[in-house]
Amino acid sequence: MKISHNWLQTYFQKSIPSPLELENFFALHSFEVEEIANVTLVEKSSDGIEHIIKDFCLNVKILPDRAHYALCHRGIADEISVITKESVKERWFLKNKPKVSNPTILSARIEDIKFCRRYTGQYLEIKRVEPSFLWMKTSLEAIGQRAINSIVDITNYIMFDIGQPLHAFDASKIKGQIVIRAAKDGEKITLLDDREISLTSEDHVIADDEGPLDIAGVKGGKRAEISSTTIKILLTSCNFDPVMVRRTSTRYNLRNEASKRFENEITPELAREALDHLSALTAELYPEAIFGPITDVYHNKPKQTIIEFDPSYLEERLGVKVPLAEARDILERMDIKISVQDSASQTIWFLAIPYKRLDLVIKEDIVEEIGRVYGYDHIEGILPLKLSKAPVLNPSFYLSEKIKNILVEKGFSEVSLYTLVEKGEIEILKPLAKDKAFARPDLSLGMVACLERNALNADLLGYEVIKIFEIGHIFKKDSEEIHLAIGVRQTKKVKGLKSENLVKEVLDALGDELSVNLNSDSGLSLRQAFSKTKIDENGIAEVNLSQLIEIFKAGANLKELTLEDLAFKPASNNRYKKFSTYPFIVRDVAVFVPESLESKQVWSVIEKSLEKIQSKDLLVRSALFDTFKKGDRVSYAFRLVLQSMERTMTDDEANKIMETIHNGLKKEGWEVR
Amino acid sequence: MHPITQTLREIYAILYNLGFEVALGPELEYEYYNFDALNFPKDHPARDMQDTFWINGQGKSEIGPRGQKLGRLLLATQTSAGQVRYMETHTTPLRTVVIGKVFRNEATDATHEAQFYQVEPLYVDKQVSATHLKGILDHLFKKLFGEKVETRFRPSFFPFTEPSFEVDIKWQKPGESEPRWLEVVGAGLVHPNVLRAGGVDPDHWQGFAFAFGFDRIVMLKHGIDDIRFLYNGDLRLVNQF
Repeated sequence: MKISHNWLQTYFQKSIPSPLELENFFALHSFEVEEIANVTLVEKSSDGIEHIIKDFCLNVKILPDRAHYALCHRGIADEISVITKESVKERWFLKNKPKVSNPTILSARIEDIKFCRRYTGQYLEIKRVEPSFLWMKTSLEAIGQRAINSIVDITNYIMFDIGQPLHAFDASKIKGQIVIRAAKDGEKITLLDDREISLTSEDHVIADDEGPLDIAGVKGGKRAEISSTTIKILLTSCNFDPVMVRRTSTRYNLRNEASKRFENEITPELAREALDHLSALTAELYPEAIFGPITDVYHNKPKQTIIEFDPSYLEERLGVKVPLAEARDILERMDIKISVQDSASQTIWFLAIPYKRLDLVIKEDIVEEIGRVYGYDHIEGILPLKLSKAPVLNPSFYLSEKIKNILVEKGFSEVSLYTLVEKGEIEILKPLAKDKAFARPDLSLGMVACLERNALNADLLGYEVIKIFEIGHIFKKDSEEIHLAIGVRQTKKVKGLKSENLVKEVLDALGDELSVNLNSDSGLSLRQAFSKTKIDENGIAEVNLSQLIEIFKAGANLKELTLEDLAFKPASNNRYKKFSTYPFIVRDVAVFVPESLESKQVWSVIEKSLEKIQSKDLLVRSALFDTFKKGDRVSYAFRLVLQSMERTMTDDEANKIMETIHNGLKKEGWEVR
Repeated sequence: MHPITQTLREIYAILYNLGFEVALGPELEYEYYNFDALNFPKDHPARDMQDTFWINGQGKSEIGPRGQKLGRLLLATQTSAGQVRYMETHTTPLRTVVIGKVFRNEATDATHEAQFYQVEPLYVDKQVSATHLKGILDHLFKKLFGEKVETRFRPSFFPFTEPSFEVDIKWQKPGESEPRWLEVVGAGLVHPNVLRAGGVDPDHWQGFAFAFGFDRIVMLKHGIDDIRFLYNGDLRLVNQF
């Protein structure tokens, strides 16, 4: 929520802390400030003079528990007061009570008292609607709101000031009695933004004899909009059920500042207070305004929350001795009234919670309030004692980790792929994208693509065989299983080497190694499960580990599984080296040199050529891949992989590099083949 | 071995020595365990905090071991879902760490993924206080990031803990001139309603829990700047570690 620093200042006598200091206070005691923006507004007043207004806008992240009371400047000012112990001033416009001198009452009736917990309204007559007042306009603009006209601005100002959404109607457009009721199916309303909505019986409206005037809690209607000619006004301040407002605002995609506050639930006690603020501020700005009496329909006033709190509970939960006087002071600064009941055995505080603090219900909430204000930095860490029994190792975890050890030992790399895929049996309701609309039905499909991608990088990686595996969950219509997939892809033909054989070999090894220490029946079934696993045409084997875990559980002495058996190697501390995502180019060079020369010496000539043209950092991998002797000469063949971190290299560029290398080699008197 | 596995092992070895046993929850979870049992009010904006992948048309009539309606199916949004499952099947005192892949329906970028891994230690005993939570966090992060690391608590909100904390660690990244506070963990004392849902009497037992995405720990530790590299199976990343 956006908060203006200047606006906050109006709550205090002394200068309030700077935005950065507030950010720090709030972070440690209340909530996060996500952003502080400098605001400069240039406005012309009615006399034509230009004013430059400087302010800061703090974007405060109010989480749902504090949204009942803190989605407004007063809520934030109260936090400052609780933290800094500076007291908050009464609003300046409350000094003068508006005079009630017009008998007009617009009567109102609540049809659905579960939805509308309170309705308050007051009739108002003015000579004409003034344009926006400069100070109010800048206050609203500082928090990103648009000024409309001074009457609408006042309702918005009070909402952002104390958190109660309000609405002003043109009273001359209202026919008969105000009623707050469920809408009828198909009933239509034209909104302030001219959008026409067809309502359902699950929505609620503020209506008159003619029909809906307003979607209750969500958005005003066009019919009784305040216009430049309005002189008769109905001011309203209501309280609505949060869930129903939320359903309606979501249904029509109409979430806004007003609905947001109702959705987070505010106390119905606030409705009347806000109406009083609204009419007081109106009276302040429209000295000639005439008010009617207040209508207040309030069927179920909530009971005030009383929390029984044993102050020793504070230390039990926080582990910190908060001086009791300090704890009491913190609660009192939050307007919580404390009555103490002392008995021989214990002291109990009866805490009367302000209505707006809907977040304070149980004693743990009180621990949090005192703790955060007193300061969590008082909490000192104590490592709990060990339990007498050693932890049991989860067999599924054990088996998976054991498998990872074996496969890594055999030169396989572990991958972790996406769960959300294009096709499957378990469908996501609102997927992020079409190709992420299902939970994966197997691991093999992801593995094929993964082998493919890595095979393309074989030269870059310097691998002749890509060997990978994944352990992960898969989803069938009626089951979720843990699977293991092993995949092998040859990137180069090697005599006597077949992907299928490599997979087969490693499956057998898994069966053998995992069945050690199992009883003979289980050991046999485990070995068979692995050896019978099919290897598909892509060189992938997929094993249902969930089944194997059951076999393992039946045949192992589970109490004896320890972490030590898994022999975790120390984790790597390597820093990640960025790699280029641009295409690479592979070039070979073969050269005949006198047989007395070693490959190293030849390679250093190639490196020198690269240095000469400042292209050494384009060489990302190199390998000597062939050597043979012919007569008194020896041929060395090198493979160079060229790639830029910043751009796609062209063939031309590679050709030029190779030409330089060839020339360098020829200069030595060697024959480039 | 994937850096995620390596870091998970490192974390788990530390917790194992403090007596925590592994619990592995399902990734396809019921609304009950993911939300209701964790004290998320029905239809409350708190459910907005976690954008959920709901599953199309299944599981509405399932009943849990304590007679509860399990509700609709979803992809687990948090490992906390495993807390109540564990409490249902184990006796107090207990120390467990739920490990799992979790899902959030949010647009992906270099720091956000729709899937990530979480670890969530849960500790239930008599006379548990925030000092014990802080003790374990200090111990864990000093082991992971070096003895100089500090932790601090800030107020936060989770429906399943009260009080709730955001935990920052103060750590000097390689290549940076001074240490900075980094937000890494959500934590708190277990809400009495969550203990009740797990069949534990909150008048006699209390607990704490904390959770963190260890993808983020992996990224911090190794200086990886894009979370998506962890899940695309690219060996140019995997084999650096």
